[in-house]
Amino acid sequence: MLLVILAALGGCAAQPQGGDLVLVTDDLGRTVQLPAAPQRVLTLAPSVTEVVFAAGAGDKVVGVTTADDYPPTVASLPRISALPVDFEAIVALRPDLVLASDQINSPQDAATLAAVDVPVYFMGVRSLDGVLVAIRTVGGLLGTSAVASRVADSLGASLTALRALTDSITVRPSTLLLIGDKTLYAFGRGSYTHSMISLAGGVSVTESHETTAPILKDEYVLARRPEVIVITAGTDYEPSMLLEHHPTWDIVPALQQGRVYGVPGDYFVRPGPRLIAGAWHLAWRLHPSVVPAP
Amino acid sequence: MKSAWLLVAGLTVLVLLSVVLAVSVGEDLGRGAVLRVLRHRLSFDAGAVPDPTADRIVWLLRMPRAVLALVVGGGLGIIGAAMQTLVRNPLAEPYILGISSGATAGASLFYLGFLPPLLSKALSMPLAAFLGGLLSITIVYLVARSATRLSVARLLLAGVAMAALMGSVTSFITFSSPDPDKLRAVLFWLLGSLHRATWSLLPAPAVVTAAGLVTLLALARPLDAMLLGDEGARGLGVPVEALKRILIIVAALVTGTLVAASGAIGFVGLIVPHAVRSFVGVTHRRLLPACFFAGALFLLWADLAARALLPSQELPVGIITALCGVPFFLVLLRRSTYDHG
Repeated sequence: MLLVILAALGGCAAQPQGGDLVLVTDDLGRTVQLPAAPQRVLTLAPSVTEVVFAAGAGDKVVGVTTADDYPPTVASLPRISALPVDFEAIVALRPDLVLASDQINSPQDAATLAAVDVPVYFMGVRSLDGVLVAIRTVGGLLGTSAVASRVADSLGASLTALRALTDSITVRPSTLLLIGDKTLYAFGRGSYTHSMISLAGGVSVTESHETTAPILKDEYVLARRPEVIVITAGTDYEPSMLLEHHPTWDIVPALQQGRVYGVPGDYFVRPGPRLIAGAWHLAWRLHPSVVPAP
Repeated sequence: MKSAWLLVAGLTVLVLLSVVLAVSVGEDLGRGAVLRVLRHRLSFDAGAVPDPTADRIVWLLRMPRAVLALVVGGGLGIIGAAMQTLVRNPLAEPYILGISSGATAGASLFYLGFLPPLLSKALSMPLAAFLGGLLSITIVYLVARSATRLSVARLLLAGVAMAALMGSVTSFITFSSPDPDKLRAVLFWLLGSLHRATWSLLPAPAVVTAAGLVTLLALARPLDAMLLGDEGARGLGVPVEALKRILIIVAALVTGTLVAASGAIGFVGLIVPHAVRSFVGVTHRRLLPACFFAGALFLLWADLAARALLPSQELPVGIITALCGVPFFLVLLRRSTYDHG
């Protein structure tokens, strides 16, 4: 009996609480019912936060994850744990829309949030151009289409300018992008990073790796002999560390020719607007005589 | 006697062939590249210098891993045999009795910087693992022993409980550490993997395992006597309590050193002595060398299976040995007719 009452009460609470609703399909192909004009947005990944701010909807963000640090204004926002998701903290912030990244967040978490009537929209970025699409999409969802469109156009122009510089380059070094120098986390099949390397005038080594988020073996790298190795450990990364961790790599061309570079991690690991700066940075590293230093 | 030597000769050939196979599996290096590297490295005349990439992959990455598999598998095999003699029960094994997980707790404490490096790093970690394993098996043994006898049921239950406790300690230490790769580290310690193998990692486990084998072989006759029971062994003049202490220390020392190099790999010490006994019998002079070879071979093949099943990833080899070992354990448990009280 008590269960029946509770179920009935739960059913009441699940009724829409007024305001216009729209049905949209997110990047995971899920159909989600959202408010037509969300006013309280919570982001579940730093890259998503960056997209929302780029789309001109930063003032609608009511909470970000503990990993967020960009743009600097997020410092004053409430923070929640995203891994694992702190559902109670999310509900306490009363968001009317949660934006998630298919790269970091799990659709199971969305099911839990749906049970407490919080809609979750998943965004997926598969390429540099996908960033522009994501910015326009978020602008559309949050009612800031004009700003989002202007920002996307300007980022698109930056990509076009870079493409004009690198398109004619014929000598394209094979490039390995690593997220760590000890354990070799890398980007595998379907990652947006391959489009960054390609635009920067290189050929990505791990583009055809059969898994999406591989941990490479030492012999994988040895067999492929990359000419450039890029590590997302910051510009002050000491390249000699790589040989220290992987002493058999002394004959890998990138190490022999001193072409191991540390790059600003956030420009590469966060699929948001700063990927474009990442592509420029990478292009300068790959082709310093063609592309100006950042 | 002659058949035993034939068996050892056969196992040696099998081990060599398996090593060649193990260093051939992985990235495609082109036809004959692996054999060229092996010929060059194993012959004293320089010969034709092989492709440096193949040379590094085969000789510096795959070969130490294959040798580590042999050392760890062989070491766990002989310790398994010694433990089974110690408790006179075929269900004993360093992993089941909690030595391995005690060793992981000690090793991970050191690895994550919670213990000061007393000696060089290469020696301190096995030392920490040894002490962890010794602590664990001592507790298990004291719980299982009563005034008159050793209860097998208590021994196994205490071992399982201790393994769970020490596994939790390892996980807690790892998760509370600043290691950015915590989950991977936990997997390494709890499931065991040979992926950290390098030539420089090998001397400690190799020397300690060899010393363990020599020690146990020197004790072969008293070990045989132990099979008669404490009273029977005493009747033959064996200092039973001292022998038990030596066995526990040897088991903790070898297991600890192996765990420091490869994490806790289970069930090798359970399966191997069993399979071997049916071929060479129970006398330790023959059982121990055969266990060494068979354990080495078993772990090498288990690692090959782990690499073949998920080629682009690092599947912890302990998953494979547990998949083989647990059904084996259950069958033994079901079949055994002796008293478990």
